[in-house]
Amino acid sequence: MANLNIDSVKERTFDAIVIGSGMSGGWAAKEFTDKGYKTLILERGRDVKHIKDYPTTNMYPWEFEHRGEMPMAVQEANPVVNRCYAFHEDAAHFFVKDKEHPYIQDKPFDWIRGYQVGGKSLLWARQTQRWSDFDFEGPARDGFAVDWPIRYADIAPWYSYVEKFAGISGNKDGLAELPDGEFLPAFPLNSVEQYFSKHVKSKYNRHVISARCAHLSKPNQIHLDQGRAQCQERILCQRGCPFGGYFSANASTIPWALKSGNLTLRPHSVVQSIIYDESKGKATGVRIIDTNTKEAIEYYAKVIFVNAAAMNTNLVLLNSTSHRFPNGLGNDSGVLGKYVAFHNYSAHMSAEYDGLLEWTTDGRNPAGGGYIPRFRNLHKQETGFLRGYAAGFSAYRRQNRSWDGVGSSLKENLAKNDLGPWSVGSHMMGETIPKEASYVKLDDKLKDDWGVPLLKISMDYDDNDAKMKKDYIEQLTEMFTSAGFTNIKAESDHRAPGLDIHEMGGARMGNDPKTSILNKWNQMHAVNNVFVTDGACMTSTSCQNPSLTYMALTARAVDHAVSEMKKGNIA
Amino acid sequence: MNRRTVIKNLALIIGGAAILPSCMQEKGKASIGLKNINIDADQEKLIGDMAETIIPKTTTPGAKDLQLHLFVLKMVDDCCTKKDQQDFITGMGQFTDLVKKQNNRSFSDCDAKQREEILLAIDKDRKDPKSTTYPPELKTFYNLVKGQTVNGYTTSKYFMTKQVVYELVPGRYNAFYPVKKQAV
Repeated sequence: MANLNIDSVKERTFDAIVIGSGMSGGWAAKEFTDKGYKTLILERGRDVKHIKDYPTTNMYPWEFEHRGEMPMAVQEANPVVNRCYAFHEDAAHFFVKDKEHPYIQDKPFDWIRGYQVGGKSLLWARQTQRWSDFDFEGPARDGFAVDWPIRYADIAPWYSYVEKFAGISGNKDGLAELPDGEFLPAFPLNSVEQYFSKHVKSKYNRHVISARCAHLSKPNQIHLDQGRAQCQERILCQRGCPFGGYFSANASTIPWALKSGNLTLRPHSVVQSIIYDESKGKATGVRIIDTNTKEAIEYYAKVIFVNAAAMNTNLVLLNSTSHRFPNGLGNDSGVLGKYVAFHNYSAHMSAEYDGLLEWTTDGRNPAGGGYIPRFRNLHKQETGFLRGYAAGFSAYRRQNRSWDGVGSSLKENLAKNDLGPWSVGSHMMGETIPKEASYVKLDDKLKDDWGVPLLKISMDYDDNDAKMKKDYIEQLTEMFTSAGFTNIKAESDHRAPGLDIHEMGGARMGNDPKTSILNKWNQMHAVNNVFVTDGACMTSTSCQNPSLTYMALTARAVDHAVSEMKKGNIA
Repeated sequence: MNRRTVIKNLALIIGGAAILPSCMQEKGKASIGLKNINIDADQEKLIGDMAETIIPKTTTPGAKDLQLHLFVLKMVDDCCTKKDQQDFITGMGQFTDLVKKQNNRSFSDCDAKQREEILLAIDKDRKDPKSTTYPPELKTFYNLVKGQTVNGYTTSKYFMTKQVVYELVPGRYNAFYPVKKQAV
């Protein structure tokens, strides 16, 4: 019996454990296994194998029972996830339904989740921009949150490292506020996007660039080696891409890590807590519940990476209590779960343009069009609000198809291919300020099916966000007007935080253990063998789409963890 | 229309008919299973005749060939709120009564021209949202039949392969594509 038990412990012992298999967890697994470390990756949801588990990927529109629309019963039962732009008949199976995994909204928060291998990397909008020192220096310059413990120079080589593997398309635009990367060819701007770009450059010295995105516009050998192929411009990404044309953990990092022979992938494993050994002064493993058998199992490793997605990473850490850490693992400072924030996506613009009618587009643009990098408060504070916003910008021509009337004339109208004027659109992506009053907490009483306390979430827009939104609408209206666009409309919606799917913070990085959870290596100040490299680590939010930064921080943190393991500092 | 198209369309029509066990149909009931709304055979016929008036058979398939009325019923049954479903049924009754009153016969007994005139009048009235010519339930009923007939038509396999061709895989993005004069 004793021997059996020893064998069993041995079987449950790895060099590294990664909690979560999405955007950043997949990278942690890839990096550890590449370096020869036996790695266990734990995923709370089901497995989603590349291609095999994309049931809708090759379906035609008419093959969907409701032509894409979600049945009303599903919509009404799922008010939260139903608000997500991608929750339709072709991808609904990749989203958590409201009732499956309840949480408590101390303030309204639309928590959009993907509980499966690959997580939300299957569903993301694939926009990838680097941060610059304008972003990393933001909190110190403007006096909020705490100073980032890193600068652009620390992360730049790691951006390059992950970009080469993931495959990022873009132009070298030479902008200090949006540093260039290792790019595959960009998806070009169309005639009106290019016209607007030239106009705002000459008139405002602002920029509209080809949106940078994680699509293989022209794959390199490293992408073919992953089994991925050139993006086919289908724009059905949310179904899972059979070509691996965009970056997802499912198409890229996870199969790569599995191929090494060093990865054990364990789906259906909800992590309850991280085990802290007081005598050793370090974490020794994790406790999971197998969601099929309800069995509680412990796994052990020298180093633990927490990549459960921002809110759930906070949940795991808050629930990992011990005599040494009664308020959550590594939480000597008391800031764990606080200073959470999001992105302000609550305004968008539309207009029309009657020029350049000799042009249209053919096919589909995976990048979605143009990107306007932040231009507000860049070099110095110049408005009545802190920080700024980026914006999407795209132009497209629709077929002029009138639905008026009935009979053969209606039929003829519906088959017409006459092009309408150009439609243009933009949406804001604003930085929000992390505040102590914004938090995630564990509920005192309510628990989920696996005995884990429910998460309470509280964050909200503030006065700064309102001013920023007003400025976005004013600035875009002016830029649209001066470009000769007509029928300009601004729409401000009242979406709750969360729908941006860019929730961040709670276990922030910082130089001072008294005010932060993680050091400059994403390593816990207080527990040196636990790392957090998903959105929970973010000290501030800036306004770039964050996934690329999580990837780069993850690869960098694994490199550091491995060097510390080699030195014997992590054992 | 060339011979090949005719054969393909015929195949579509036969394919559509094959999934409908109409000969097995219990008298007086709708031919498809509905969970939330009660539709009898006469009402199904009314929706069918309305859909056929909206998208008539010409040299190309019409609503009945493409079973669009069944798509309308499915969408109302699955994708509408309870309120819209109730209004749909109420509005259908109002529509039936109105047609009888104005024409001294049912919609199905009207000829094609009369049917088109009846629907066109409602269609035009929609331009003025404040108009009280028709009761609101009737408008909801008409909007659902019209909207889902056109939705079903423009997303049908026939339309997306023969009229405005949908490509699952474009494999290209031309950002500057010259607009050529449409050959009529």
